[in-house]
Amino acid sequence: MDASPRPPRTGWNSLARNYDARMLRGGALADGKVVAPDRATELLEAVIEPHDRICIEGNNQKHADFLAKALATVSPDRVHDLHVVQSNIALAPHLDIFEAGIARRLDFCYAGPQGLRLAQLVADGKVQVGAIHTYLELYSRYFTDLTPRVSLIAAEAADRDGNLYTGPNTEDTPAIVEATAFKSGILIAQVNRIVDKLPRVDVPGDWVSFVVEAPTPHYIEPIFTRDPAAITEIQVLMAMMVVRGIYEKYGVTRLNHGIGFDTAAVELILPTYAEELGLRGKICRYMSVNPCPTLIPAIESGFVEAIHCAGSELGMERYVAERSDVFFIGRDGSMRSNRIFCQLAGHYADLFIGSTLQIDLEGNSSTATLARITGFGGAPNFGSESRGRRHGSPAWLQAGREAHRAGMPRGRKLVVQMVETFREGLSSTFVEKLDAWELMDTFDMPLPPVMVYGDDLTHIVTEEGIANLLLCDTLAERAQAIRGVAGYTAVGRARDRHMVETLRERGAILYPEDIGVDKRLANRDLLAARSIKDLVRWSDGLYAPPARFRNW
Amino acid sequence: MIPPRHSYLEASARARLAGILDAGTFREFCGPRARQTSPHLPALGMPVAFDDGIVVGEGRIDGRPVLIAAQEGGFMGGAIGEVHGAKLAGLIERALDIRPDAVVLLLDSGGVRLHEANAGLIAMGEIQRAVFDARAAGIALVAVIGGRNGCYGGTSIVARSCDVIIASEEGRLSISGPEVIEAVEGIEEFDARDRALVWRTMGAKHRRLIGEIDILVRDDIDAFRDAIAGHIGDSRPMDLDALEAEHARLVDRLSRFRDAADGRDVWARLGVNDPDRVSDIEADEFNALVDALEGARR
Repeated sequence: MDASPRPPRTGWNSLARNYDARMLRGGALADGKVVAPDRATELLEAVIEPHDRICIEGNNQKHADFLAKALATVSPDRVHDLHVVQSNIALAPHLDIFEAGIARRLDFCYAGPQGLRLAQLVADGKVQVGAIHTYLELYSRYFTDLTPRVSLIAAEAADRDGNLYTGPNTEDTPAIVEATAFKSGILIAQVNRIVDKLPRVDVPGDWVSFVVEAPTPHYIEPIFTRDPAAITEIQVLMAMMVVRGIYEKYGVTRLNHGIGFDTAAVELILPTYAEELGLRGKICRYMSVNPCPTLIPAIESGFVEAIHCAGSELGMERYVAERSDVFFIGRDGSMRSNRIFCQLAGHYADLFIGSTLQIDLEGNSSTATLARITGFGGAPNFGSESRGRRHGSPAWLQAGREAHRAGMPRGRKLVVQMVETFREGLSSTFVEKLDAWELMDTFDMPLPPVMVYGDDLTHIVTEEGIANLLLCDTLAERAQAIRGVAGYTAVGRARDRHMVETLRERGAILYPEDIGVDKRLANRDLLAARSIKDLVRWSDGLYAPPARFRNW
Repeated sequence: MIPPRHSYLEASARARLAGILDAGTFREFCGPRARQTSPHLPALGMPVAFDDGIVVGEGRIDGRPVLIAAQEGGFMGGAIGEVHGAKLAGLIERALDIRPDAVVLLLDSGGVRLHEANAGLIAMGEIQRAVFDARAAGIALVAVIGGRNGCYGGTSIVARSCDVIIASEEGRLSISGPEVIEAVEGIEEFDARDRALVWRTMGAKHRRLIGEIDILVRDDIDAFRDAIAGHIGDSRPMDLDALEAEHARLVDRLSRFRDAADGRDVWARLGVNDPDRVSDIEADEFNALVDALEGARR
């Protein structure tokens, strides 16, 4: 039998030779590794080739915005049909390049504010979406089939050898750099300043191809700041139920909080409500989260002992730097964040808790809304059962005993959704069928975009009570447990009274009085901080909130 | 450190009254049971409030009789419509009949309610006249500012017509709101989203430093109560001499600060050593600073 025919090879190092050719073209525009900002467009035209896979670093905080703008001004005759592989579509130039024909294909994670425009460009045929990923998935594919040929990244500072300092917003940079630099890809960094000596080296210079000093500092968005003044008494009540009905019950020590006012309320009642219950040192000790300002009182009062961060948060830099027992701080004195490691830590923690927009009767939840492509970000990984986990912890083992009442003993991660029964505009959070189904048809997706699957979810907390899905044996029971905490929504009003009572006796439905939560205490007096100014006070003036959050 | 727990800023109008008056002394006039609601809002398909967003009545502070009004910022931003305005004007007019030790106005308002602008503007005139009548009769009027809506538009004129103004740092006092200035003059002139700038321009600390507010307290209902109690019966003369002195002060201020681009420039010229810190210091430290400045001037 003949061997199958193979295409002729030109050797085993074609990528490296191609890298050398690109560097020769780009090097003509550079002084060593440094390229002047007014030659950025020329540089991109010189080193990018048609059909390249390209990453423009940009996640929900830090953005290589100057290089993104430069890419949007290259000639589509020279640079075209790019395949964009990057986590976030957040800035206008990210989509301008599709409109101009510079890029054609897109694999990404999250679209946020550009979601509406992206949906229109997809409908017009200007963007061919490969897939919408979670962060961990996309960066995993960087090391299999989606390795970038060129990556445009953002750092705080560089020296003339190309060494980079990212400052506290290290975020996704290590993953992008690793995949690009070690597969003969071109790595161009925009930096806020070029200096003689860096405070610390986050990326070694010999991995970096070119450095451009941007005329203005890279854009950073303070997206994790929640003003305690906007937390409602309903949210305080739900937070009390989370503390008693979940954190205290299971003894949750390692966890991830989603971003939102619901979880901010939990953070702010730790120094008051949980302290009075004697829970300091017993719950909420290790967290995988961004340095949310609403965590300050819980840190200062000794609840939260250690935090690893995916990114940083504007205004928190000094506070974080002065708390090196809590945060991960370099010898230069500033934090180093890392999205991948934070995602992994959160995945193997005892608990994830977050919020969502819609939940169906199986417990599937989605933040997708019609006419908009938003994507996933990190929540599906944080908010999923960690079936590969093997080490025990009290919370994981106790949840496992509830989940696996017969056969092989197993542990179980707690995955909690915390929602009010009605959202803004009196639309119901609980629905018979998610909008995600319709979205799948509209945008021709392979699956409905579900954030957390029902079989990953263990608890739903509403202002009515807690549904413990681990104690439901059938889908019919699960549906009734969900109806039982869905209040006065249509889903809630369709509950079977007898089944709900049975489930309550079993502990699959818990109302506040069942777990010792006194609803009369649920008011804002329980919040350790009730304003941004209170957070500044707790931090001894180390937290410097951005101007938009101030009322002084 | 656990910060103060009874925030005036967060409290409703009724909670503020309960915290400021002696317990059990409040008697409301024209309360929600009377259902005197706006005649204009239903025509626009807008919801009404049974008290039209203001609570008026009488009570005691440290045993001394007062008339008191509290605007509810949660209803239409405390804006003044026909009924709201009539309740406020009527309360102040009543002072001439019963001669209380003070009329206390807890203001939390953007000014006239645009949905019933003509009636609201007429009401403003009536309120203004009632304030001057009461002051001419020697009755002390105390204006209190510390709600989310600040004190804007016609309400700010009423406040500046009172004998004394008490405010917390979170309070704001100005004729035009930040968004209005930005819309009219452009974002280069005034960026309404820069909240620190808003407070440096209209916030109570700035107003205290330039002499438009008399007392600054921390955001705490008890602190407000104590400050009000300390000024019951303190009326200032309202005569030609007082008016001319005020005009001279304003002319002087305009010439001194005409070219100051930011509140911090004004504070520096007033003799504040570290203007950048002013926004961040607590009420006690701020008041010590003000005392030192005023002592130096005397």
